[in-house]
Amino acid sequence: MEYNYDSFVPEKFMPWLNFGNSPALGQPAPDFPLWDLEDRETRLSAIWSAHTYTVVEFGSFT
Amino acid sequence: MNAIAERFAHAGVGSIFLYTHEAHPGEYYPHLTSFEQKLRHARDLRDKLGVTRPILVDALDGACHRAYGSMPNMIWIMTNAGVPVYKADWTDANSVQNALEYFVAVPGRRRAGERLAPFHVERMDLRNQDREAFYKGLERNGPKAVREFRAAFG
Repeated sequence: MEYNYDSFVPEKFMPWLNFGNSPALGQPAPDFPLWDLEDRETRLSAIWSAHTYTVVEFGSFT
Repeated sequence: MNAIAERFAHAGVGSIFLYTHEAHPGEYYPHLTSFEQKLRHARDLRDKLGVTRPILVDALDGACHRAYGSMPNMIWIMTNAGVPVYKADWTDANSVQNALEYFVAVPGRRRAGERLAPFHVERMDLRNQDREAFYKGLERNGPKAVREFRAAFG
Protein backbone atom coordinates (compact mmCIF):
# COMPACT_ATOMS: atom_id res chain seq x y z
CA MET A 1 0.00 0.00 0.00
CA GLU A 2 1.61 3.21 -1.21
CA TYR A 3 0.90 6.57 0.48
CA ASN A 4 1.87 8.36 -2.75
CA TYR A 5 -0.53 6.24 -4.79
CA ASP A 6 -0.32 6.52 -8.56
CA SER A 7 -4.03 6.20 -9.35
CA PHE A 8 -7.22 7.40 -7.71
CA VAL A 9 -8.87 4.02 -7.38
CA PRO A 10 -10.69 2.98 -4.18
CA GLU A 11 -8.33 0.14 -3.29
CA LYS A 12 -5.43 2.63 -3.30
CA PHE A 13 -6.91 5.71 -1.60
CA MET A 14 -9.59 4.34 0.73
CA PRO A 15 -7.20 2.60 3.17
CA TRP A 16 -5.57 5.96 3.96
CA LEU A 17 -8.77 7.75 5.02
CA ASN A 18 -8.53 7.42 8.77
CA PHE A 19 -10.06 10.57 10.26
CA GLY A 20 -11.92 8.53 12.88
CA ASN A 21 -8.62 7.64 14.53
CA SER A 22 -7.08 11.10 14.27
CA PRO A 23 -5.83 12.95 17.38
CA ALA A 24 -8.52 13.92 19.88
CA LEU A 25 -9.67 17.46 20.51
CA GLY A 26 -8.46 18.88 23.79
CA GLN A 27 -5.35 16.69 23.99
CA PRO A 28 -1.82 17.63 22.89
CA ALA A 29 -1.39 16.78 19.21
CA PRO A 30 1.68 15.13 17.68
CA ASP A 31 4.46 17.31 16.34
CA PHE A 32 6.31 16.73 13.06
CA PRO A 33 9.07 18.31 10.98
CA LEU A 34 7.89 20.32 7.99
CA TRP A 35 9.70 22.21 5.23
CA ASP A 36 9.04 25.58 3.67
CA LEU A 37 9.14 26.14 -0.10
CA GLU A 38 12.86 26.90 0.07
CA ASP A 39 13.44 23.48 1.70
CA ARG A 40 14.21 24.96 5.12
CA GLU A 41 13.17 22.69 7.96
CA THR A 42 10.83 23.79 10.72
CA ARG A 43 8.29 22.04 12.92
CA LEU A 44 4.54 22.14 13.24
CA SER A 45 5.03 23.13 16.90
CA ALA A 46 7.05 26.17 15.82
CA ILE A 47 4.01 27.27 13.81
CA TRP A 48 1.31 26.68 16.36
CA SER A 49 3.32 28.25 19.21
CA ALA A 50 3.63 31.53 17.31
CA HIS A 51 -0.08 32.41 17.41
CA THR A 52 -2.99 32.22 19.82
CA TYR A 53 -4.68 29.93 17.29
CA THR A 54 -3.39 28.40 14.08
CA VAL A 55 -5.51 27.13 11.20
CA VAL A 56 -3.86 24.18 9.45
CA GLU A 57 -5.38 23.23 6.11
CA PHE A 58 -4.11 19.97 4.59
CA GLY A 59 -4.14 19.44 0.85
CA SER A 60 -2.24 19.44 -2.42
CA PHE A 61 -2.29 20.79 -5.97
CA THR A 62 -4.49 17.93 -7.07
CA MET B 1 -9.45 30.37 2.92
CA ASN B 2 -6.92 33.07 2.02
CA ALA B 3 -9.48 35.75 2.83
CA ILE B 4 -10.27 34.19 6.19
CA ALA B 5 -6.57 34.04 7.03
CA GLU B 6 -6.27 37.77 6.32
CA ARG B 7 -9.44 38.61 8.19
CA PHE B 8 -8.36 36.89 11.41
CA ALA B 9 -4.63 37.64 11.34
CA HIS B 10 -5.14 40.73 13.49
CA ALA B 11 -6.79 38.58 16.15
CA GLY B 12 -3.74 36.40 16.73
CA VAL B 13 -4.75 33.68 14.29
CA GLY B 14 -2.05 32.17 12.08
CA SER B 15 -2.86 30.12 9.00
CA ILE B 16 -0.82 27.64 6.99
CA PHE B 17 -1.38 25.22 4.13
CA LEU B 18 0.25 21.85 4.76
CA TYR B 19 1.19 20.07 1.53
CA THR B 20 0.40 16.34 1.60
CA HIS B 21 0.26 14.04 -1.43
CA GLU B 22 -1.46 14.13 -4.80
CA ALA B 23 -5.02 13.05 -4.12
CA HIS B 24 -5.89 12.88 -7.84
CA PRO B 25 -2.66 12.27 -9.74
CA GLY B 26 -2.73 12.89 -13.46
CA GLU B 27 -0.44 13.25 -16.44
CA TYR B 28 0.48 16.85 -15.54
CA TYR B 29 0.79 16.30 -11.79
CA PRO B 30 1.68 12.65 -11.29
CA HIS B 31 2.07 10.88 -7.97
CA LEU B 32 5.06 11.95 -5.90
CA THR B 33 8.32 10.02 -6.15
CA SER B 34 10.78 12.55 -4.66
CA PHE B 35 10.83 15.39 -2.16
CA GLU B 36 12.12 17.76 -4.85
CA GLN B 37 9.02 17.00 -6.94
CA LYS B 38 6.85 17.60 -3.87
CA LEU B 39 8.43 21.04 -3.40
CA ARG B 40 7.79 21.86 -7.09
CA HIS B 41 4.14 20.93 -6.84
CA ALA B 42 3.81 22.95 -3.62
CA ARG B 43 5.32 25.99 -5.33
CA ASP B 44 2.77 25.61 -8.13
CA LEU B 45 0.04 25.69 -5.51
CA ARG B 46 1.32 29.15 -4.60
CA ASP B 47 2.14 30.36 -8.11
CA LYS B 48 -0.71 28.86 -10.16
CA LEU B 49 -3.54 28.44 -7.67
CA GLY B 50 -2.81 31.56 -5.63
CA VAL B 51 -2.49 30.20 -2.12
CA THR B 52 -1.14 33.19 -0.19
CA ARG B 53 -0.85 31.54 3.22
CA PRO B 54 2.55 30.07 4.12
CA ILE B 55 2.84 26.62 2.55
CA LEU B 56 4.70 23.99 4.54
CA VAL B 57 5.53 20.62 3.07
CA ASP B 58 5.17 17.32 4.88
CA ALA B 59 7.78 14.57 4.55
CA LEU B 60 7.56 12.49 1.38
CA ASP B 61 6.05 9.59 3.33
CA GLY B 62 3.32 11.85 4.73
CA ALA B 63 4.22 11.27 8.38
CA CYS B 64 2.27 14.29 9.63
CA HIS B 65 -0.66 13.86 7.24
CA ARG B 66 -1.05 10.19 8.16
CA ALA B 67 -0.91 10.91 11.90
CA TYR B 68 -3.78 13.40 11.54
CA GLY B 69 -6.02 11.08 9.54
CA SER B 70 -4.90 11.43 5.90
CA MET B 71 -8.04 13.16 4.65
CA PRO B 72 -7.33 14.97 1.36
CA ASN B 73 -8.58 18.41 2.41
CA MET B 74 -9.12 18.36 6.16
CA ILE B 75 -8.60 21.35 8.41
CA TRP B 76 -7.59 21.80 12.04
CA ILE B 77 -7.43 24.71 14.48
CA MET B 78 -4.70 24.40 17.12
CA THR B 79 -3.99 26.45 20.23
CA ASN B 80 -0.51 27.81 20.89
CA ALA B 81 0.02 24.82 23.18
CA GLY B 82 -0.54 22.39 20.32
CA VAL B 83 -4.01 21.36 21.43
CA PRO B 84 -6.57 20.95 18.64
CA VAL B 85 -9.88 22.68 19.35
CA TYR B 86 -11.53 22.14 15.96
CA LYS B 87 -11.08 19.52 13.29
CA ALA B 88 -13.07 18.86 10.15
CA ASP B 89 -12.64 16.11 7.58
CA TRP B 90 -13.27 18.69 4.86
CA THR B 91 -12.35 22.37 4.52
CA ASP B 92 -15.31 24.71 4.39
CA ALA B 93 -14.66 28.43 4.75
CA ASN B 94 -18.02 29.15 6.41
CA SER B 95 -17.46 26.47 9.02
CA VAL B 96 -13.93 27.66 9.79
CA GLN B 97 -15.00 31.29 9.99
CA ASN B 98 -17.79 30.36 12.37
CA ALA B 99 -15.35 28.49 14.62
CA LEU B 100 -12.78 31.28 14.59
CA GLU B 101 -15.36 33.90 15.50
CA TYR B 102 -16.21 31.78 18.52
CA PHE B 103 -12.61 31.18 19.60
CA VAL B 104 -11.28 34.72 19.18
CA ALA B 105 -14.11 36.00 21.38
CA VAL B 106 -12.96 33.85 24.30
CA PRO B 107 -10.28 36.21 25.70
CA GLY B 108 -12.76 39.09 25.78
CA ARG B 109 -15.36 36.96 27.52
CA ARG B 110 -12.80 36.01 30.15
CA ARG B 111 -11.79 39.63 30.61
CA ALA B 112 -15.44 40.44 31.12
CA GLY B 113 -15.53 38.04 34.02
CA GLU B 114 -17.01 34.90 32.50
CA ARG B 115 -15.63 31.67 34.01
CA LEU B 116 -15.21 29.34 31.04
CA ALA B 117 -14.48 25.60 31.04
CA PRO B 118 -13.94 23.36 28.00
CA PHE B 119 -16.53 20.86 26.83
CA HIS B 120 -16.92 18.68 23.77
CA VAL B 121 -19.40 19.33 20.99
CA GLU B 122 -20.14 17.43 17.79
CA ARG B 123 -21.78 19.11 14.82
CA MET B 124 -22.54 18.13 11.23
CA ASP B 125 -21.79 21.15 9.04
CA LEU B 126 -22.72 21.59 5.39
CA ARG B 127 -20.27 22.38 2.62
CA ASN B 128 -20.71 23.63 -0.90
CA GLN B 129 -20.64 20.82 -3.44
CA ASP B 130 -19.99 22.20 -6.92
CA ARG B 131 -19.26 19.12 -8.99
CA GLU B 132 -18.74 21.11 -12.21
CA ALA B 133 -16.08 23.32 -10.64
CA PHE B 134 -14.48 20.27 -9.08
CA TYR B 135 -14.14 18.58 -12.48
CA LYS B 136 -12.62 21.75 -13.93
CA GLY B 137 -10.04 21.58 -11.17
CA LEU B 138 -9.30 17.95 -11.93
CA GLU B 139 -8.58 18.88 -15.56
CA ARG B 140 -5.49 20.77 -14.35
CA ASN B 141 -4.05 17.46 -13.20
CA GLY B 142 -4.59 15.70 -16.52
CA PRO B 143 -7.28 13.55 -18.21
CA LYS B 144 -6.33 10.53 -16.10
CA ALA B 145 -7.45 12.33 -12.93
CA VAL B 146 -10.84 13.13 -14.46
CA ARG B 147 -11.29 9.61 -15.79
CA GLU B 148 -10.44 7.97 -12.48
CA PHE B 149 -12.70 10.22 -10.43
CA ARG B 150 -15.64 9.57 -12.80
CA ALA B 151 -15.01 5.85 -12.50
CA ALA B 152 -14.95 6.05 -8.70
CA PHE B 153 -17.86 8.44 -8.09
CA GLY B 154 -19.61 9.17 -11.39
